[in-house]
Amino acid sequence: MATRTPAPQARDKLAFLLSFVPYLMDIERVSVADAAAHFGVPAEQIRQSVRLIAVSGVPGETTSYQHEDLFDIDWTAFEEHDEIALTHQVAIDDSPRFSAREAAALIAGLQYLSALPGQNDRAVLDSLLLKLSRGASGVPSEVLVGRAVVDSSLDEIRAALTDGRRIEFVYLNSRGEREVRSVDPLRIESVDEDWYVRGWDHARRGVRTFRLDRLSELRTTDIPITKTPADVALPETLFEGSDEDLAVLIEVEADSVPLIAEYIAPDTQPVPHGSRVRVELRLAHYHGLKRLVASLPGVVQVLEPDEARDAVAEWSRQALERYGEASSVS
Amino acid sequence: MAERSASPRIAVEERLFSLVLALLATEQGLTKTEVLSTVQGYRQKFVVGGDNTSLERQFERDKDDIRELGIPLETIEAPESSGNNQLLRYLIPKGAYDLPADITFSSAEIAMLSLAATVWRQGSMSGESQRAILKLRSLGIESTEPVIGYAPRVRTRENAFDPLRTALDRHQVVTFVYVKPGGSAPRLRTVHPLALVQYRGRWHLSAYDEGVEDRRTFLLSRIVGVVKVKNRTFEAPTETGLAERALDELDALWQANVARVRVTPGSDAEARLGKRGTRVDAGTDANADAGGSTIELHYTDVDLLADELAGYGPEAEAVSPERLRAGVIARHRRTLEAHAPTEGGRHGN
Repeated sequence: MATRTPAPQARDKLAFLLSFVPYLMDIERVSVADAAAHFGVPAEQIRQSVRLIAVSGVPGETTSYQHEDLFDIDWTAFEEHDEIALTHQVAIDDSPRFSAREAAALIAGLQYLSALPGQNDRAVLDSLLLKLSRGASGVPSEVLVGRAVVDSSLDEIRAALTDGRRIEFVYLNSRGEREVRSVDPLRIESVDEDWYVRGWDHARRGVRTFRLDRLSELRTTDIPITKTPADVALPETLFEGSDEDLAVLIEVEADSVPLIAEYIAPDTQPVPHGSRVRVELRLAHYHGLKRLVASLPGVVQVLEPDEARDAVAEWSRQALERYGEASSVS
Repeated sequence: MAERSASPRIAVEERLFSLVLALLATEQGLTKTEVLSTVQGYRQKFVVGGDNTSLERQFERDKDDIRELGIPLETIEAPESSGNNQLLRYLIPKGAYDLPADITFSSAEIAMLSLAATVWRQGSMSGESQRAILKLRSLGIESTEPVIGYAPRVRTRENAFDPLRTALDRHQVVTFVYVKPGGSAPRLRTVHPLALVQYRGRWHLSAYDEGVEDRRTFLLSRIVGVVKVKNRTFEAPTETGLAERALDELDALWQANVARVRVTPGSDAEARLGKRGTRVDAGTDANADAGGSTIELHYTDVDLLADELAGYGPEAEAVSPERLRAGVIARHRRTLEAHAPTEGGRHGN
């Protein structure tokens, strides 16, 4: 099954057709543009699907796909006004059930979110979980994410974000510097168990990402935010590279590349080297690098530049000193 | 072959769509021959009285694809024809296909489910939650404003995740090589996957291990190489709530394990570990005056905690248990050795 290539695309198109037909049945008449907006797909995909549906149907009593065995649409409206109206329908009456796996993916996502402010109404959640289970064609698979362990500051940040108020807090960066930051909160983000707030940093005049477990003395001000998410394009990736980033060449087990994927320099690919691979990382400074490498002992080895190797080695040497262990390598 | 090339090419999705429609419309089911000779996309290639082997294989693959979408494509055997698979009939029962009419969603619920779907950005979980959202949209309900201000994400970056999830659904026995930290040799495990759970950022597999004849929990990050699917299945467990139980067990383990860590005042380790753990009261902390405060941390796995503490370098010192302390020291030694100054050699570049 791993070698079949054409299927996923056709399968996705089939899933779309089976969802699109009941939508058209319910709505009776809709413009291509509105349908495209509703499903979040290009208008041309809507038109292609309509053309396919309009010539599809069942073999029927004659087993020869007679006119009454096929879907039909208001062709004039479609061709002249870019509007869709089904005038004849066959075989399908309702929306399809979720597959067991689809239901499981949503259930696990809901469980993860259930600890969030504004998402933690237990009765609402339980009713939704039940609907997903009942609406699935099989028993949803046993996949779950433990409820997120949410930092106590999240409630206040969420409230400030909703009210559009600037926040202030003391932030400890990975260099070990502590300073007061003044930020318009734009989005709360998470990666597994780590939570972040992304916002417009007034002193830096730019968007910055802050780990919630590194901020303290949070305070919501009365000052309205001056930047909204619409003003600044928030990228999908959590960390943005900058031209000042340092390039570091590392060697890593091929299986472990996903562990450092977010630091891999754009447009570069891991290059096999024996049983391991070499790849270039981009990081803002060696303080972040040494923490990353030290937390993956034996997995990641820094090759170049020497300053980066030295920073990592020095970090371990200092640690061993703390344990009263003389470092055997000097 | 001539008649095949002469027939117009039917797109795969048109053939699949036509097959679903035909199987939904039939009440008593269609035999394979009826499908191949009458359904759009097959009938153009069907040779009456000839060899249709490749078309039959096509039909088998199409059935798999349709079932992958969760569509209940069923096979029924006519009572008088047991064993003769030419007389098997295929159909999609409407009752099992249609979303029950009493299941409806409010605009607010659609918004919540849409947010839940965005949690997955990679692998099979992402594709499937997007398809679930597509089916929700077929209900024609407009979502309220999207839940603003959240961009949550759960990663499934371990290579073992998707194959294990598929095996879990299909009740397939799998084997993989599992490394236990601490020097023991990697071992091949043969298991029945029962649940996949992410606990405190780590994916775990709960499975019945044939070698020890008992249930075990595995960390996906310690599975080496490829998960191989055996050519046999296991009996589907009758109990439900296996994922809940796995999470509860991990939580009990987490509660039971306590480590003590001394952290440097004002450091990243103090800020972050201090938020997660409990500061030990100065009166009971024998090392309170040694220039640092002590934090108690719960954990599920001593080696994962050792990796994490190693990242803090000199800012954190594992005090107890002894295995944690020794583990962190060993990690620092390993990192130091791997980053000893090079002697002019440029690593073979």
